[in-house]
Amino acid sequence: MEIKGENLVISYGDYTAVENIDIDIKKGEITTIIGPNGSGKSTVLKALTRLLKYRKGSVYLNDKNLLDFENKEFARQVGVLPQKHSAPPDFKVKDLVGYGRMPYQKWYSKNNSDDEKIIDWALKATGTWDLREKSINECSGGESQRVWIATVLTQQPEILFLDEPTTYLDISHQLETMRLVKKLNKESGIGIVMVLHDLTQALEISDRIVVICHGKKYSEGTPSEVITAQMMKEVYNVDCDIINVPGRNKPLIAYKEII
Amino acid sequence: MKPVKKFSVLRVSTVLLILIILLAISALISVAVGSAGYSLSEIIKAVFSSETSATKTIVINLRMPRVIIAVLVGASLSAAGALLQSVMKNPLADPGTIGVSAGAGTAATTILLLFPHMTSAVPLFAFGGACLACCLIYTMAWKDGVDPTRIILSGVAINSVLGAYNALLQMLNSDSLEGVLAFMNGSLSGRSWYHVKLVVAYSAVGLILALLCIKSANALQLGDEMAKSLGVKVSGSRILLSAVAAFLAASTVSVAGMIGFVGLVVPHIARLVVGSDYKAMLPVSMVLGSVVLLLADTIGRVIVPGMEIPVGIIMSVCGGPFFLYMLRKRGKSIGN
Repeated sequence: MEIKGENLVISYGDYTAVENIDIDIKKGEITTIIGPNGSGKSTVLKALTRLLKYRKGSVYLNDKNLLDFENKEFARQVGVLPQKHSAPPDFKVKDLVGYGRMPYQKWYSKNNSDDEKIIDWALKATGTWDLREKSINECSGGESQRVWIATVLTQQPEILFLDEPTTYLDISHQLETMRLVKKLNKESGIGIVMVLHDLTQALEISDRIVVICHGKKYSEGTPSEVITAQMMKEVYNVDCDIINVPGRNKPLIAYKEII
Repeated sequence: MKPVKKFSVLRVSTVLLILIILLAISALISVAVGSAGYSLSEIIKAVFSSETSATKTIVINLRMPRVIIAVLVGASLSAAGALLQSVMKNPLADPGTIGVSAGAGTAATTILLLFPHMTSAVPLFAFGGACLACCLIYTMAWKDGVDPTRIILSGVAINSVLGAYNALLQMLNSDSLEGVLAFMNGSLSGRSWYHVKLVVAYSAVGLILALLCIKSANALQLGDEMAKSLGVKVSGSRILLSAVAAFLAASTVSVAGMIGFVGLVVPHIARLVVGSDYKAMLPVSMVLGSVVLLLADTIGRVIVPGMEIPVGIIMSVCGGPFFLYMLRKRGKSIGN
């Protein structure tokens, strides 16, 4: 299972947001896309998941062109949690999570016992089982993010795309979400593709990182190959040191003092 | 964050049951009251006796068809409004937004004022005009799919052009406006079994189609990207739901003229009572719409003795303040 984007060109009207990007995503890995604001990260993620049309190039899921997929057929293999999502505040958690079964259902069918089992599994896997009878707006920010992840999990995807899953959360809920992502990847073997802003988290959690800058791929590789003082300077225009700390597996990013 | 009430299956069934009982009672009242008032036993006697009497004629030929039309029109307009609110992701959407009222109004005004000898064809032309205006708005709004904001804006533009044409036509023919005014304000006056036959098949089909749209209507509430990634054809669903709504509204306009506020207010009340899930909200909207319109028509018939106030006027006069009251009291769930 892999998703391959070849020579992608994506534009909004006259503005070319992404130019000639090749990207390769493998099942079972955690791939993180990083880059400054407006660099085209989310655009690439949307193109890989059929949410956005690309002008040139092509994307393949297991050697089959994305354009040849039925909507539902694609949704059974790839789950996407967009940055913006909303549900009426009185929707019940369990009902919302149940919408993840839509790709498997006809327009008239109701949840059968298999669907129910998968919904229960997704609720338990994301630690939202106890929330199932609550309504969405009774959940905190971190809880509702886990509920949404449960919703896309219910699609039983082999690859899960998360667009800035931690952006609106405080640090404790950010880490909680990251731990959940890692757990899903490890225990269920689901491939994860994320757009992240927090580079320390990207460094910690990723198997591979893709750096995008000005709509082009700047570099890609393992976290330690990619996150370097030189990259930080060239891509983000930020001075920092990458420091190895005894007792930690991954290095830390120490930004230069502000004054 | 204030906790929102959860709406259980039990609550929804109870609400539906109560509404159906209310509908039956309203229907009985509507048949019983009027310039000639009847008791329940008189009505039953008239309906089941074989001899012809004045009572029988009034109950069966004048009041019953009117009750049936009010029920169908109320249900259809509310269902149309509910669907459109999901399509547009906008709480202010109603059948007027997609040009149904303006289109039907234009067609009806043209026939009534310029081709008065074709007056009997007004329902047909109103239906056609409503569908045409709706198609025009969607064609204008189309660009790589249909975006709700573009539908609403192109609706505003086309509604204003059609409105200007109507106004001009009415100014030039200001001496023969009676029929036009009745149409523009929505009236069930003088509706007979002929009109019931005209509308019943369309409404039934439309209402069933609306119930089949529940899943799509719910999915659209999750946001376009989420719906798309769940395998929903977002633009396709929007057009399908709009088409069903337009069909429902257009068929009511053809027999009852333009009745405002039902399609806007009733879905909101339903949402406050049973929540936003269309599985509960849509059926409740339909029955509630029937009750509301039937009561409004009955009030319009009896409130001023010897004169009928068009149901559209009653709806706007009562609906407006009631809506404001809901907005003040429970506004939080409407605002979001």
